[in-house]
Amino acid sequence: MSIFWISIGMGIAVAAILALSSVAFTLEYAVSRVVNLAHGEVLTIGAYAAYVGEMTFHLNLYVCALVATIFGAVTGMALNFFLIERFRGQKALSTLIATLGASLILQNILLIAFGGASVSYSFNQGNLLHVGPFLWTTLTIRVIISAVVVAVLIYVFLQRTKIGKALRAVAQNRELAQVSGIPARSVVMRTWATAGAVSGFAGFLYGETIGTITPSIGNGFLLLSITAAVGGGLGRPYPTLGGALLLGLVMSIAGTYWSSSYQLVVAFGFLVLMLLIKPNGLFVRGKAQTVRA
Amino acid sequence: MLQYWTAILSEAAIFAILAMGIDMIWGWAGDFDLSAYAYFALGVYMTIVLTIGKAHSPVTYVFGWHLYYPLAVALSVVVVVAFAAVIGAIALRSLREVYFSITTLGAVWAIYYWVENFTPLFNGYNGVYGLFDPLGSGLSYNTYHYLFFAACLIILLGVYLLVSRISTSPFGRMVRAVRDDESAASVYGRNVFWAKYRTYLFGAGLAGFSGSLFAAYIGAFNPLDWKPTEIFVLYAAILVGGRGNPKGVILGSFIVYVGFVELTRYIPSPASRPELGPALRQILIGLLIILMLKFRPTGLIPERLGGDGTEGRRSWRTLFTKSPQRDAEPDVVIGALPASGVEAS
Repeated sequence: MSIFWISIGMGIAVAAILALSSVAFTLEYAVSRVVNLAHGEVLTIGAYAAYVGEMTFHLNLYVCALVATIFGAVTGMALNFFLIERFRGQKALSTLIATLGASLILQNILLIAFGGASVSYSFNQGNLLHVGPFLWTTLTIRVIISAVVVAVLIYVFLQRTKIGKALRAVAQNRELAQVSGIPARSVVMRTWATAGAVSGFAGFLYGETIGTITPSIGNGFLLLSITAAVGGGLGRPYPTLGGALLLGLVMSIAGTYWSSSYQLVVAFGFLVLMLLIKPNGLFVRGKAQTVRA
Repeated sequence: MLQYWTAILSEAAIFAILAMGIDMIWGWAGDFDLSAYAYFALGVYMTIVLTIGKAHSPVTYVFGWHLYYPLAVALSVVVVVAFAAVIGAIALRSLREVYFSITTLGAVWAIYYWVENFTPLFNGYNGVYGLFDPLGSGLSYNTYHYLFFAACLIILLGVYLLVSRISTSPFGRMVRAVRDDESAASVYGRNVFWAKYRTYLFGAGLAGFSGSLFAAYIGAFNPLDWKPTEIFVLYAAILVGGRGNPKGVILGSFIVYVGFVELTRYIPSPASRPELGPALRQILIGLLIILMLKFRPTGLIPERLGGDGTEGRRSWRTLFTKSPQRDAEPDVVIGALPASGVEAS
């Protein structure tokens, strides 16, 4: 029973990071109607930016997190400016293929810059703590808390700020929002900056939690983010959040009782199940029909 | 030098067959399939384990039969098609476009990790090996590879004739009509799922077949040889040559394979940075995909429609003119299906 609770504890940490990553992914989809397959690379760039910050410039934990966030935001804006906006008006599939090309480019630039060997941060992991039935380190607790804080910030951003309202309007209908006087292009750009910032931060948290950073960690995490977003409801932030928490728990339980090598196999099984039962998303009302983006 | 070119061109010919299979799924039916490389890999694995005989400890794999090579090829293709039938049924039943791609992306990584970690299947991470001279001819290494090259060219020609025959057949036109407007096609009595599904299975079968050929060429196979991201090279080839046009796809495969192998050969790869050459190659592939999609989505030889050959003759000339439209989807209605005002739910 205790192993069960420890694995649930780890699952909560992974689910918290997954929630950030997949909400960013879903926001990108919401405003640009694009499945961004280069999303994983934004996480990787965040992770490496923090690594360079720590190793070369000896910054502390919080400044490193900030560096990761800034680099993520810049990458998100660059992706939008150089790629997504150029492919606007084309089929969703064309843009998807283009982001695939971007993912290939970014991942290999990182490979050239940092080599294929894995690196890791050397932040203090802190003490091992028993919290209720869970077993966490101080660092894990900080990861979970910061993820929750960021999630709350995203909620406030979406619901309480003017730009968040504009974002939701653009997500509903870009042309109509434009006609109503919302500067759609700049709203989309700011959304990508936000999503990139959240992704960069998530990449930093992920690198810190799993302990090793390679040029392909983001790509592995991409599939999980997609699964969480599609499972919950693609393009909708709150259902995506639910999907991420559910997927994180399912994977950690499967990892305990089976083998962690098969985590992606489990994630894919989850995705297929979701798509077969509720293709519109688990937490979205509406009946199943042919789904196209 | 001759051996070098034989090797490169044999490989290009095999990948041209694979590209034609993928192009059926993407170019004709419009389904951007990311799991096709797994079908290719399954074809390679099956052919090897069906011909090399029993496994000796610590190597473990399924079957371990000692079949006659052509029989093994046939059986491999059957297994690949059966496997694709499951994935296709899941992915094509009610999912389209981006959702379809996501499902196949999930499938290919799940399969990849499964094969890598589950050793009783294909010996996991270390892979299977030992297939050489599949017909037992007793030829020398060089002669074997020259003959293999000739055989590849003949098979490529045969596959090309078959595929372009299907492409211009009523079935080929129907699949494209379904791609361009599912609602209209289904109003005209076409079974949308069945059309896409059959194309998918045929494409997967071709992928498996090319895998069987590759098995005879390479003789050993492990998960490092089939990173799912390798499929982007094939999509780059299809985009360069001309999506939906078998002739273009073959041209694109040879351009991309020969061009990239030759280009990246001259990139210095110091011993301390062995990843430099392959990484630059991947970056170029990514750039190629984005630039082709942006500036010439129809490729060098655009899709040929109509089937009487007149459009095909004209299409060469479009090489020197501006691309007719910027959209990735060639916007030509085949079979004159009226697309307006028809909405099926």
